Amino acid sequence: MSVHSDTFALELDGLSKEYPGVRAVDNVSFTVEKRTVHCLVGENGAGKSTLVKMLTGALRPTSGKIYVAGKNHTPTSPQEAREGGIATLFQELHVVDELSVIENLTLGMEKKRFGFFVKSDLEDRVVATLKAIEPSIDPTAPVSSLSVAQKQIIEIARAASSGADIIIMDEPTAALSEREVERLFGVIRRLRESDVTVIYISHKLDEIFELGDNVTVLRDGKHIVTKPLSQVNGRSELIELMIGRPVFQDYKPRTTVTDEVVLQASGLSNALLKDVSFDIKKGEIVGFYGLVGAGKTEIARAVFGADKYSGSIALNGKQVGHSPREAIAAGIALVPEERRTQGLFTSLSIRENIPVMNLPRMSAGGLYRSADEVSAAQEYVERLRIATSSIDKHTEKLSGGNQQKVVFAKCLFSQAELLLLDEPTRGVDVGAKTEIYEIIKNLADQGDAVAVFSSELEEVLGICDRIFLLFDGVVREELANGPNIDISHILNVVTGGGEAAVQ
Amino acid sequence: MANMIENSQSSLGSSVAKFLREYYIYFVLVAVVVLLASANLDRFDLFERGNFLNERNIINILRISAPLLVICGAFTLLMVSGYIDLSVGSAMSLSAVVYAMLAINGVPFLPAFLITVCVGVLLGAINGFLVVRLKITPVIATLITLSLYKGVALLLVEDGVSAIKSSALAKMPKWFNDYGRDGTLLNLPAAFWMAVAVTVLLVIVQRRGVLGKYAAATGGNPTAAKLSGINTGRVVFLLYVLVGVTAALAGIARSSFMSLGDPLSGDGMELTTILVVLLGGTAFSGGEGKVLRSFCGALIIMSLTVGMLTIVPAYYQTLVLGAALLIAAASNHLVSRKGTS
Repeated sequence: MSVHSDTFALELDGLSKEYPGVRAVDNVSFTVEKRTVHCLVGENGAGKSTLVKMLTGALRPTSGKIYVAGKNHTPTSPQEAREGGIATLFQELHVVDELSVIENLTLGMEKKRFGFFVKSDLEDRVVATLKAIEPSIDPTAPVSSLSVAQKQIIEIARAASSGADIIIMDEPTAALSEREVERLFGVIRRLRESDVTVIYISHKLDEIFELGDNVTVLRDGKHIVTKPLSQVNGRSELIELMIGRPVFQDYKPRTTVTDEVVLQASGLSNALLKDVSFDIKKGEIVGFYGLVGAGKTEIARAVFGADKYSGSIALNGKQVGHSPREAIAAGIALVPEERRTQGLFTSLSIRENIPVMNLPRMSAGGLYRSADEVSAAQEYVERLRIATSSIDKHTEKLSGGNQQKVVFAKCLFSQAELLLLDEPTRGVDVGAKTEIYEIIKNLADQGDAVAVFSSELEEVLGICDRIFLLFDGVVREELANGPNIDISHILNVVTGGGEAAVQ
Repeated sequence: MANMIENSQSSLGSSVAKFLREYYIYFVLVAVVVLLASANLDRFDLFERGNFLNERNIINILRISAPLLVICGAFTLLMVSGYIDLSVGSAMSLSAVVYAMLAINGVPFLPAFLITVCVGVLLGAINGFLVVRLKITPVIATLITLSLYKGVALLLVEDGVSAIKSSALAKMPKWFNDYGRDGTLLNLPAAFWMAVAVTVLLVIVQRRGVLGKYAAATGGNPTAAKLSGINTGRVVFLLYVLVGVTAALAGIARSSFMSLGDPLSGDGMELTTILVVLLGGTAFSGGEGKVLRSFCGALIIMSLTVGMLTIVPAYYQTLVLGAALLIAAASNHLVSRKGTS
């Protein structure tokens, strides 16, 4: 094993990344052949992102080795990773709005002498690459004048012209139109012909079959298989490899669901959503399931008025205004995706956090009595069983599960009829997870309407009465939960397979 | 077992740290007072011989402190919300000039007082408009108004005169001095009691008021504040207006104390205010800070300043104040780092 030939573009040997209590990547070994498009697939949380971060120097492996063309690769920054031959195209945009297209393309790659730029063929090269992907972009235009998709193309062109031997692309087509995707595929094929290896990560399985030579499946941080796509027996085999285990489904039909429609959303559209319509009934728990970028958070934020949209949202027949303030006043509350940055005031205590969404409820003339604040806090700490020594404890010091319960308490104090829960159990331990599920079910039993936006299938299957499947900003299908629900069908739909692909 | 002991020790340590963080400013204030009280001034010929902290000196310090004391509470709330106002000094100067002009032209006390406060509302509203509506960075917006307000104040004063004051043509009315100088309750002037009243009011606003809670929420986590339905723009606007009003009150106090309307009388006030607010433990990044602690910070700085007038040579005074700011900023940084670990 000590000899590492350079026949492979990339070789991973026992790579692991451990966090306290979790092995995000667990002893992964596989090889990537030169001049191939190598696809990396897995469910959310399978370890793809962690793996990529180790390749690009954003994270250090706990153990294991990476070899690029036979050479040991231990980058500590994206810069070093690129010097080692790996360029990366991230999901998020990393362009400088104030600079022109061409300046963005050459940023950090300029030839320099005595602190000044020296003219080189770099510019011509990047412009040629850019033209090949999207001829309509003017290289001298400021990037701020471009659309999101066009900015994405700039990133792609930059990675493609960096001269790296390996280019990692993480969900590069998320914001692209079909025509742009076709052009991108053309560029990727051309890169392959010019000796570049592409590591391609996507949730869209069709893209993988169209483009890939080999595929590696990760599941729960472990390496499952690496094989040529020609030997994979269609989408269903890939999906089975991704799930691996039987999905645990623990749904018991609830009796409190009524026919009374609380929320009616019709034709919601914005940058990410395309004509999304749905309703939620009193006492019902509705699930929105889709992979990263499918539009879950966008729907939640649109209903809550936090993002712009066209279309209409009505609560109990009345139109809801386009701001969180109006949504809260109408009776909608949101538990946001990121509790620390969006939901919680970590510099304030539990007592101070709980009433903040509806202070007018307990105040008169701009002042409130601290006795009211204390009793409200005590009530919700008890009701949601928030584990804390005191209501004056800063929320910073609470565990993830208890922090999440404080965010729940904030929403409940606002006396909402409709609760939007975006990833309600993310970063929460198993015990607190069960408790949160109980809280959600109790709320629905008491007549609240609840929408759960989740990328965990088990969560959606466990508590939701109805499930909307999302892909690419579109509601692809609506399913009633029950014992006969077809899980591989769900996975097929959320990875872009249509009705037609169902056997 | 070992674990338990370790736990209880660390919780003891952290509760001591918490106690210190909460109350250190009061200890510092006591230490400064004791230090100054024990300074023997026999060797100096300033003030009266004997103890520095005799009644007359105390009254003197509190009298001079009135403008700073009245501003620092509102400024604290603004900084808690994550914003800053560098124009307070200029707003104070402009208010001082306006107040003196009204007085010298025969406007009685109460109307002159109220008109000047309205000017403060206007100046604060301009800042709020620039920051909230036009979304100009707070530092830049209030640097602009720092210049503007000061420019207007200078324009209002006639050429060849340094300030609005009694001259051969017009005399300041008799009452002009009373507000900032004349002893009322406990021999302290009304301006001081105004500062105390404003502080009491703002302490209540901070502890019980919707505005106080919203300020802490806006500064602590702007995204969460918006998603909690808080109109953060309105909160920030109101706080700028509040700071404008207190700047006007400070201008009135200062011009009454000096019996003239000096267009430079508020110069440097923004730095002193930031200094005392930071000394009081307010986080520069917003979210945390207490009105009452800034009040103590102001008392400390003023005692030190006046104390230094008598003890430290003039050349060193600015240096010593700078050092105090450095200590305040550094301890602020250490405290907030501890908070997150």
